[in-house]
Amino acid sequence: MMYAKLALRNVRRSLRDYIIYFVTLTLTAALMYSFLALGFSSDVLAMAENMSMLTTGILLMSALVAFMSSFVIGYAIRFMLGRRKKEFATYELIGMEAKIVRNLFLAENSIIGIGAFLLGSLVGTGLSGLLNQVVKNIFEVPHTYQVSFSLRAWAVTFLFFALMYGFGTLRAAKIIRHQKVIDLLYDNRKNEEYRFKSFRHSLLVVLLSIAAMVAGVILLGRMLQTQTNEAFLYLGGACLLILAGVYELHRQIPLLLHRFAKQNLRHKYKEENLFFLGQIGRRIHSAGRTMAVVAILLTVSLATMFVGLTMGAGYKANMKAYYPYDAGVAIDAPLEKSSMDSIVSFTEDHCGVEDSVSYYLYAVPEKPIEALSLSDYNHLREILGLSPVVMGNNEFLVHCDTWNYMDGIRQGLEQQPEITLNGRTLTVAETPILTEPMEQYQMAGTKGYVLVLPDEAASQLVGEKSRLAMKLEDGGYPELKSDLKQFLNSGKWQPELQSSQQLPEKVTMGVTVKAWGVANSLTGFTAISFCGLYLSIIFIILSCSVLAFEQLSAIDKNQKNYAVIDRLGVPGHRQASLIRRELSTVFLIPLLFPLLLTVLLIAGAQFFFGEAILQQGLVPLYGLVTILLFCAIYLTYFGATMFLFKRVILRPEMR
Amino acid sequence: MKEILKLDHIQKYYGNGGNVTKAIQDISFSVQEGEFVGIMGASGSGKTTLLNCISTIDTVSAGHIYLDGIDVTEINEKQIARFRRENLGFVFQDFNLLDTLTISENIALALTINKVPAGEIDGRVREMAGKLNITDILDKYPYQVSGGQKQRCACARAIINQPKLILADEPTGALDSHSSQMLLSTIQSINEDLGATILMVTHDAFSASYANRILFLRDGTIFTEIRKGGDSRRTFFEKILDVLTMMGGGMNDVR
Repeated sequence: MMYAKLALRNVRRSLRDYIIYFVTLTLTAALMYSFLALGFSSDVLAMAENMSMLTTGILLMSALVAFMSSFVIGYAIRFMLGRRKKEFATYELIGMEAKIVRNLFLAENSIIGIGAFLLGSLVGTGLSGLLNQVVKNIFEVPHTYQVSFSLRAWAVTFLFFALMYGFGTLRAAKIIRHQKVIDLLYDNRKNEEYRFKSFRHSLLVVLLSIAAMVAGVILLGRMLQTQTNEAFLYLGGACLLILAGVYELHRQIPLLLHRFAKQNLRHKYKEENLFFLGQIGRRIHSAGRTMAVVAILLTVSLATMFVGLTMGAGYKANMKAYYPYDAGVAIDAPLEKSSMDSIVSFTEDHCGVEDSVSYYLYAVPEKPIEALSLSDYNHLREILGLSPVVMGNNEFLVHCDTWNYMDGIRQGLEQQPEITLNGRTLTVAETPILTEPMEQYQMAGTKGYVLVLPDEAASQLVGEKSRLAMKLEDGGYPELKSDLKQFLNSGKWQPELQSSQQLPEKVTMGVTVKAWGVANSLTGFTAISFCGLYLSIIFIILSCSVLAFEQLSAIDKNQKNYAVIDRLGVPGHRQASLIRRELSTVFLIPLLFPLLLTVLLIAGAQFFFGEAILQQGLVPLYGLVTILLFCAIYLTYFGATMFLFKRVILRPEMR
Repeated sequence: MKEILKLDHIQKYYGNGGNVTKAIQDISFSVQEGEFVGIMGASGSGKTTLLNCISTIDTVSAGHIYLDGIDVTEINEKQIARFRRENLGFVFQDFNLLDTLTISENIALALTINKVPAGEIDGRVREMAGKLNITDILDKYPYQVSGGQKQRCACARAIINQPKLILADEPTGALDSHSSQMLLSTIQSINEDLGATILMVTHDAFSASYANRILFLRDGTIFTEIRKGGDSRRTFFEKILDVLTMMGGGMNDVR
C-alpha cells in the first residue's frame, strides 16, 4: 500500500518529465483506436463490397505501429530512468530491494500507461466520429457527426497497446534489475567522450553515400524494365542502397557543416557562437545516429502522408470526371438514336431510369475536334444538375474539363474567334469555355474537350459516334456494368445504322457505371490513403517524441553548461536565445533531408502525374497540406521541449 | 594601493517567518588591488554564501558590497551579466569547463562573450596558455586532460579578460596534493606577476597559506584575520593552524 502511494506520488512529482511521454502515448492510443473504430465501423463497411480492405489495412498498420511504438516506449522509459537513477540508488541504499525498486517503477509506468490509454480511448472516440465523416464524405454518403463507441476497436487497441507497452516497460525493468548502485549514483558524472572522424573519412563516406543512392536509383530503373521475379531483387537492393545512403549522408553532412563552421574563425568567435557550436557539436556526435534514423522515419512519413492524401484526393477528383453519369454507353459508330431505346428499356428492367439522353458526337470537317449539339449538351447538363446554357444561333463554345488544355484552347480562341462550318460562320459565345466535369474522353468528347454548336449547325454534320447517358434511381448498382455489357454483346440488341452511313472497320464500345467505379476503385484508394495517413501521423509523433527525449536526456548537462556562461556574464535573454537556437538546430537537422525529399517528391508528382489529375493545383495543394500537418505536429513537440528546457535551465527571471 | 572590494555590514538570511537561517550575520572588510585574500571557515560558516553574494550570484539581505566603487547590491538584473563579464573571473572546485569545447576554446569562450575581435582571440589564448604552462593541451578536450590541467585552464579562462577580482571557490577541492601544489603556485604567480586581485574560499590550511591575508569566518561573522606579512609560507601555515585550533576546527581541516 505504501509503495502504491509512493508510486502515485512519484508520478505526480515527475509530471514534468512524463508530460511528453504521456502525450505521445495518449496520441498513439487515440489514433490507434480511432482508425480501428473506422475499420470496424459497420456504416463504413456497408458502403462498398470490398471495404474490408480498409479493415485489413488498418489492422496491419496497427500491428506495425505497435511494434514501432514499443521501441519508442523503451527509449522513453530509459530516458526517464536516466533522470531518476540517483533516486533509485537512494531507495536501494536505504535498503529497498532492487526487485521492489523495479516494481515501483513498473507501477508508476502502469499508472501512466493506463491513464494514457483511457484518455486516448476517449479522444479516439471523438476522433473516430470525424474520420467516419471524412470517409462518408469521400463516398458522398450523407453524414452528420456522430460519436459511437466500438467495443471491438477498443479491445484490439487495448491488446496492441498492452503488447507495445509491456514490451517497452519490461526491457526497462531488466535494466533496473541489472544495474549496480554505483552506476545509478555516478552515471551522470561520467565524462562525455567523442570520437572524431577525420575530414577525409567524412568526405569519403559522403561520396560513397551519394554513389550508393545513385546506384539505388539505377537499380530502380532496372527494376522498372524487368518483367521477371528478378525485379524484386532490384527493388530490395535499391531500397537498401538508398536508405543506407540517406542514413550516412544525414550522419556525415551535419558533421562536415559543423567542422566548416568551426573553421571560420570570424564566425566561430562571434559573440556566443563558440558556445553554440560546442553544444551543437555534442548533439551531432552523441545523438547523430538517432537523428539520422529520425530523418529516415520522417522521410517515410512525409512521403507516405503526401502520397496517401494526394492519391485519395486525386482519385476522387478524377472520379467525378470519370464517372459523372450514373450509367453511360459509348459506341463509336453512326447509329440511329433509336438504337439506344432498347438499352434504356433493358436498364429500366433492372433499376429505375430517371432520365436519359441519346446523342451524337459530331465530326467537325478538317478539325481534330468533335461537336455536341446545344440541346444534347444542355440535356447532359440537366442530368448532371447543371444549369442550361443559352447561346445565339451563330455562336459556339468549347467545353473542356481538363485544366491542362485550357491555355491552348484560350489562345486558339483568341487567334481564331470564328469558325466556318458548311459555309456558315459562327463566332465564339460570350462565355467561350465551360469547365464542369462531364467526362470528355468517352462521353462528352474523346479528346478532353468538345465544341458545342447550335442544333441547326450540328445537324449539318455527321453524327459519327453514338452515346447514351442515363440518370438512375439511387445511382444504380455496381453489377449493372457487366449486365449492360452482356446485353450489348448478347445479340438481343439490334442497332440500326444511320441512312447513308457505313459501319467503321473497327467499332469501339464502352460502358461506364458510376456505382461500379466507386465500389471497385474508390475503396482501394481510400484504404491506401487512410492507412498512409494513419501510419505517417503516428511515425511523425514517434519521431518527434524520440527527438524530444533525446534533448531532454541532455538537460542536466545543459543546465551545467548554461550555468557556466551565466557566470561568465552572458545575459538571460542571450541564454534564452541560445536555447532557442540550439533546440531549433537540433530539431531542424533531421528535417533537412526529409523536407528536401518531400519538396522533390511534390515537384516530381506534379511533373509526372499533375496533368493526369483533373483538378488543377491538387498536387501542390496536398503537398502544402502534408507539410502544414507535419509542421503542426512537429512544432507542438518542439514547443513542448523548448518549454521544458527553459524551465529547467533558465532562472525564473530569464524565462 | 587602491581599495578594490569593500563589504559594508552585509547580512544574508534564508527562509522567512519563524524559520530564518542567518548565513551571514554581519561582515565588513575590504580588499586592496593586487591582494590575495583567503577566506577560511568550517562548513556552514558562511564562506560560500559570502562568495556568492560578492559574485552577484546571490543577493544580500542587508548591507552593501562595493567593487571598484560600484555598489553590486544595487545592480539590476539586466546589468548583472555585463558587470560579471567585465569585472569578475571565476574558478570553481569542479572546474566548470565545457565538455563540448577544447581547452583552447574554453579559454576563448570568455573572450568571445566579452566581444573581443576574432583576430585577437587565438593570440591571447596562446599567450595565456604559455603563462599557465598548458600550451601542449590546447587542442585537447577536458576529458583528455588531468584535473590539475583542467583547473589551470579554468584559471586561464578566469583571468584572460583581466577582471578586477578573481573569485576562487575551493579550487583545489577536486585535485590530488601534487596538482594542488602546482595550481596554488600558478594562482600565486597570477597574483604576483599579473597583479590580479584574488579572493579564495578554502577550508584547507595548506591552500590558504598561499594567500597574503586570511579571514576566518565562524557562524556568519569574521572570527579573526591574519596577515602573512614578511613570514615564510611555512610560518604562515603554522599560524593558520593555530587559529583553526583556537576556533575548534581541529586537525581535520589540515592536509
